[in-house]
Amino acid sequence: MAEIVFDQVAKVYPGGNTAVENLSLHVADGEFMVLVGPSGCGKTTALRMIAGLEEVTDGTISIGGQVVNNVLPKDRDIAMVFQNYALYPQMTVGQNMGFALKIRNVPKDEIKQRVNEAAKILRLTEYLERRPKALSGGQRQRVAMGRAIVREPQAFFMDEPLSNLDAQLRVEMRTEISRIQRLLGVATIYVTHDQTEAMTMGDRVAVMRGGVLQQVATPEDLYDHPANSFVAGFIGSPPMNLLSATLVETQGTLRARFGDQSVEVPAKYRDSHRLNENLTRPLLLGVRPEDLVVATSDAPGHFSATVTLREALGSEILAHLTFGGEDVIVTDETETSSPGGHSARVVARLGARAHVAVGERLDLTLNPDNLHFFDAESGETLRLSK
Amino acid sequence: MTTTAATVAETLVTPDAKPTRSPARRRLGRTLIFVAMAIMAVIMLYPFAVMILISFKTNAQYLIGSGTSTQTWQQINSTLPIWQELWNSTVVCSLSILIILVIGVMAGFSFAKLQFRGGNVVFLAIVSAMMVPLQAILIPEFVNIAKTGLTNNYLGAVVVYAALGTPFSIFLFTTYFRRIPDELIEAGIVDGLGYWGVLWRLAMPMALPAIATVTVLQFIQIWDDLLVGLLFLQNPSERTITVGLAALAAGHTTSIPLLMAGSLVSALPAMIVYLVFQRFLVRGLTMGIDR
Repeated sequence: MAEIVFDQVAKVYPGGNTAVENLSLHVADGEFMVLVGPSGCGKTTALRMIAGLEEVTDGTISIGGQVVNNVLPKDRDIAMVFQNYALYPQMTVGQNMGFALKIRNVPKDEIKQRVNEAAKILRLTEYLERRPKALSGGQRQRVAMGRAIVREPQAFFMDEPLSNLDAQLRVEMRTEISRIQRLLGVATIYVTHDQTEAMTMGDRVAVMRGGVLQQVATPEDLYDHPANSFVAGFIGSPPMNLLSATLVETQGTLRARFGDQSVEVPAKYRDSHRLNENLTRPLLLGVRPEDLVVATSDAPGHFSATVTLREALGSEILAHLTFGGEDVIVTDETETSSPGGHSARVVARLGARAHVAVGERLDLTLNPDNLHFFDAESGETLRLSK
Repeated sequence: MTTTAATVAETLVTPDAKPTRSPARRRLGRTLIFVAMAIMAVIMLYPFAVMILISFKTNAQYLIGSGTSTQTWQQINSTLPIWQELWNSTVVCSLSILIILVIGVMAGFSFAKLQFRGGNVVFLAIVSAMMVPLQAILIPEFVNIAKTGLTNNYLGAVVVYAALGTPFSIFLFTTYFRRIPDELIEAGIVDGLGYWGVLWRLAMPMALPAIATVTVLQFIQIWDDLLVGLLFLQNPSERTITVGLAALAAGHTTSIPLLMAGSLVSALPAMIVYLVFQRFLVRGLTMGIDR
């Protein structure tokens, strides 16, 4: 068991392509850390560096207090679960699980005992004599986990281990992996591009983009207090609505204008955010889909929008809406190369029984307790740190 | 008028469905294929049948065209040092194939899984060596081998056979190892293996079809080869069976039944090796075709 520390780690490939830039991250002993981000953000490279499968260009990586930059993978006392499981096809499940121990000349009886224990935890006992090709995707995934478990390593690394599974099995295995990790209490770094996996599994989540760490926080903190518009747009499904807005002050009241609409900004945001210095400057107003609330036409601070698409998901309805003014809404933040890219769509999460129809005009208000403000240029949050 | 679901389904399916052939046409098709394959089998087996029949005649019976005898088989070892020559062939074949396999596996793994500067160029150069005909390099090769004095023992022929077979072997193993996911290699490394360990303990067991393919193809090629054996095995006691049969055929009084019997004995090992490895051979030769 050990803590893992990335200290200003960088990875630059020959040719100058920077995959990871100045990454500093601390994973506590027993912690489940999820690295999440879109394709090419450097999360897998970071994982491969700590596993010893990629060389570190700059900075140091330590496991259990020992700098491992120049330590061979086999001597790092770590175990890794790969995306395609990487099971040895010529070996049985039991042999796969015990292979690493066999290499280390662990006595046969002990190998057998540890494999049996791991198989019990993973409910694989009846499959120990089978070859990987005779197993289902979920079972193979569990064997890959088992191979990691029997090692009793200092740390687990998992590289998108659920991405080859179907949706239902993925949900099942998500809880299974979390259960096993908590049971064993081993520091784990889990890489995924799926923010739902990240939010449901991680004790903390590190969001990466373009090789740069954007934010590390608990799932709740990440959702409630995103550090920038990228994190705001990446975390949450559907993502946070980002509106190009301008703050104006009339008769002591702060209002956020977007397109031909405007809403009152509660005074408390003046204390918690750097708003006064951003008056009349363009900024991004972030609103989570559940914070767009259907209101009556006489409700204070309401505004109107037209339903363009209705997605009934059973437990909720997602209403896609457009406002007056085409250049108002900034969404799909993860798709745009820089904060501030425009589209004319916003999504509201409504109750399962909400009466909305395509083409209908809705009166909405913003939940005043959950507004987010970001700098329009840098995308950084205007929230003052606690 | 009502339209049943079946009618609708039929209407929807029929335009895209393949026209099905009648059973009679299908039977006819199968019969034609069977006849064609039977003719091919006869063509292929005819020489063997002739060899077997002639080997059971004396030279006199062969010349007059009638009668059978086991005399040729009884005399075969006294006329032709067949067991010694079979042993020579086995030694030359085994050593050559061993070298071809060892170099092929190691080079193939390196080209497929290790990144090194100029790797692709070297690989292309080796693969292009497969295009050079043996006859084009035979004389310079003979001069080289003769200078080292290896023409008087097995080694001369072994070195030449190994040199000729290695490019194909490297090509085949490279292709094969490229199909093994990198993650499998990395899993081995994380589990505690070095590259040697990965090669011998993980990659080799997975490469059995490729090993079988190289073994069979090279065995047949080397066992049946005459030219290299004739040139590089100068010592009569080290002649391979093919060279021995050729010497017999070139003699003043050639016994055709004896030649046929010798040829049959010579063909048997190659056939046995082929039959034993046939299952792997198909997998080895078709690798890269399946996805």
